[in-house]
Amino acid sequence: MLAWAFQVAVVTVVVAVVWYLVGNYQENAAAKNLTTGFGFLDQPSGFPIPDSTFRQTQRVRDALFEGFLNTLRLAVTGILLATVLGTLIGIARLSTNFVLRNVARAYVEIVRNVPLLALVLLSLSIIQTVFPPPQDTWDLGPLTVSNVRGTSIFWYEGDNGKFLVVVVAAFIAIAAVARWRRAVADRTGHPARTALWALPIGAAVTVVAWIVVGLGATAPELDGRRVTGGITLTASYLAALLALVAYTSSHIAEIVRGSIQAVPKGQGEAADALALSGFQRMWNVILPQSMRIGLLPIGNQYLNLLKNSSLAAVITFPELTQVTKLAVATRAPAVPSFVLLLLIYLAMSLVISLIVNLVNRRLRIVER
Amino acid sequence: MRRTIIRSLAPLAVIALVAAGCSDDDDDATSGSAAGGDTTAAPDASTADSVATGATAAESSTPDSAEEVQTGESILDTVIANDVVRCGVRDDLTGFSVVDDAGEYVGFDADFCRVIAAGVLGDATKVEFVPVVADARFPALQAGEFDVLVRNTTWTASRDGGDGADFLHPTFYDGQQMMVAADAGYDSIDDMDGANVCVVAGTTTEGNVATEFAARGLTVNVLSFPDIPAVQTAFDEGQCDGWSSDGSQLVSIRSTYPAGPDALVIFPDVFSKEPLTPAVIDGDTAWAQAVEWTIFATITAEELGITKDSATADSTGDDPAKVLFLGGANADGVTLDPGLGLPPDFALQIVSQVGNYGEIFEANLTPIGVEDRGLNALWSDGGLQYAPPYR
Repeated sequence: MLAWAFQVAVVTVVVAVVWYLVGNYQENAAAKNLTTGFGFLDQPSGFPIPDSTFRQTQRVRDALFEGFLNTLRLAVTGILLATVLGTLIGIARLSTNFVLRNVARAYVEIVRNVPLLALVLLSLSIIQTVFPPPQDTWDLGPLTVSNVRGTSIFWYEGDNGKFLVVVVAAFIAIAAVARWRRAVADRTGHPARTALWALPIGAAVTVVAWIVVGLGATAPELDGRRVTGGITLTASYLAALLALVAYTSSHIAEIVRGSIQAVPKGQGEAADALALSGFQRMWNVILPQSMRIGLLPIGNQYLNLLKNSSLAAVITFPELTQVTKLAVATRAPAVPSFVLLLLIYLAMSLVISLIVNLVNRRLRIVER
Repeated sequence: MRRTIIRSLAPLAVIALVAAGCSDDDDDATSGSAAGGDTTAAPDASTADSVATGATAAESSTPDSAEEVQTGESILDTVIANDVVRCGVRDDLTGFSVVDDAGEYVGFDADFCRVIAAGVLGDATKVEFVPVVADARFPALQAGEFDVLVRNTTWTASRDGGDGADFLHPTFYDGQQMMVAADAGYDSIDDMDGANVCVVAGTTTEGNVATEFAARGLTVNVLSFPDIPAVQTAFDEGQCDGWSSDGSQLVSIRSTYPAGPDALVIFPDVFSKEPLTPAVIDGDTAWAQAVEWTIFATITAEELGITKDSATADSTGDDPAKVLFLGGANADGVTLDPGLGLPPDFALQIVSQVGNYGEIFEANLTPIGVEDRGLNALWSDGGLQYAPPYR
């Protein structure tokens, strides 16, 4: 009974405090003639967004959506690259090769111990310095055209839905091949060699699906100082991606190293006793077991990467935070805009958490 | 278990006390009005008591009422009490506001901060300069991080309406222009179809560039950067085909460009109206009036022909218009105090310590290459600078 009373008291106090703060904000905003509420979302934004079709006459709502897409592009690509790089570096940390081991260690110790903001600024400077001005563009054939403004690569052209169909088809094909190879391996005892089969078949299915759904393709071409065709990864996108991947991969590397070391030593010895190769030992025996240990901490790093992507605003990559800042500088009221920004990040974080938890549930050792 | 309960009680008790404190205010207000009701019902009961109760009720409700707070605590009072004007400026624009080698803020905007300090406090040096970047200036103004924003800020309807800013008199009528590298092969904006145009983020320039290119039937990619040095780096590295900003800014940037001014060309087309205007927070009329009249004073001084050097002599001279304006006693020994909350001799302090509008303009903007006054000439010379009469 007393416990219930406490619950009620706590809820009452929290509601009262929130109520008081909101009322206080509204009163002060009114006193300063600030607009409140979310009516601004349907006002014209007044600013264009670079490297998109968004015009200044469109609504603030659409500007935020464009920023959301840019955040998604940064976060999804960043998560994929950071996972691969982090895993490789984490394994390299445990290599028997002295140079490799220490290079990996130096990378982790340096990158992990500097502020991400500094990395973001540094990587923009690096990109601005390393890439040539447009008149000296690197033209690396149909696949890549690169200068200080950005790097353009071969890309699909046409309906996004069709592209999704191709991706799903390729994914299903690869999954089916993997399943089939495992079944063969279980039945005959021959090595599965999944990658050897899955990659060519996946590529073939991709090409066939591409043609079947009628998806186009465009290659970048240099036209004076401009690049047409393909998809352009702008300097600020690349700089933000570079910094986020470098930073997050150094954290993931430590998690991977730790979770590999947490796999009982006997497992590795058993793999050796079965005369598995070094790769098989790692890929088939150690990594799957370490994933169970490392998944949740790595999921945290994914959340961090998503949240850290807001730092791209300092180099004015038009992601969600930057677009919100622009909207506030133009005409949107600050408090509602930033509250909305937080809510969007919160929603995205919860989705990542959900996915990580679902995967974790699947990976968990089933106890009977 | 018991200790845990007690421990968790402690913060709750504190919050409850605060909440109780808040609700007490409400109770006072209601009981006050209830008491008022009682006294009207029984007028014969002690009148003195009822008056006292009414006064208490009014007092206790005072802090809750926004209007009371404003008239009671104008920024003008705070500024006078603190004996310093906090002025939101930029620190990266030669000619308008930049930190010089001695660590002093110099420039046109910086001087208008001094004008305000001289007018309100009688001392042009009593300014605290608060550097602020473009996209943070309005939240900072709302938060009271400075008393007045003099940061070549364009007066627009949305900023006036939604951003809680109260714009005063434009100190500089500007317009947006386009600057390109001299060797880029462009002769006008019409050659720039599909160009990358770089601007400073969070300014009116982003939208203006896009609107101008759309009006000419051209496409454009507007890249924005946090500040002028960042735009300059991007421009130097080849990220931008064009650099767009207010004409005065472009002139300033060109004048200090590392490769020399001749490496850059500014197209003559002016494609926006940019009245650069000091702003204060909305709803503080006393402070807004005081600041606005310090700005008017520089214009009036130029109009009357009062200069920095002549001001002191003029205040006791034989031209009654000048004497009146500078706060001297007229022929009948009377001094005009228009009730702006400023000292009667505020104009004298402004002009003698900082200068008149023309002097401020010439000292800061002529050196960077703003060759003629243009729209910023006095109205009597065909420009737009016009101050209401001082009388």
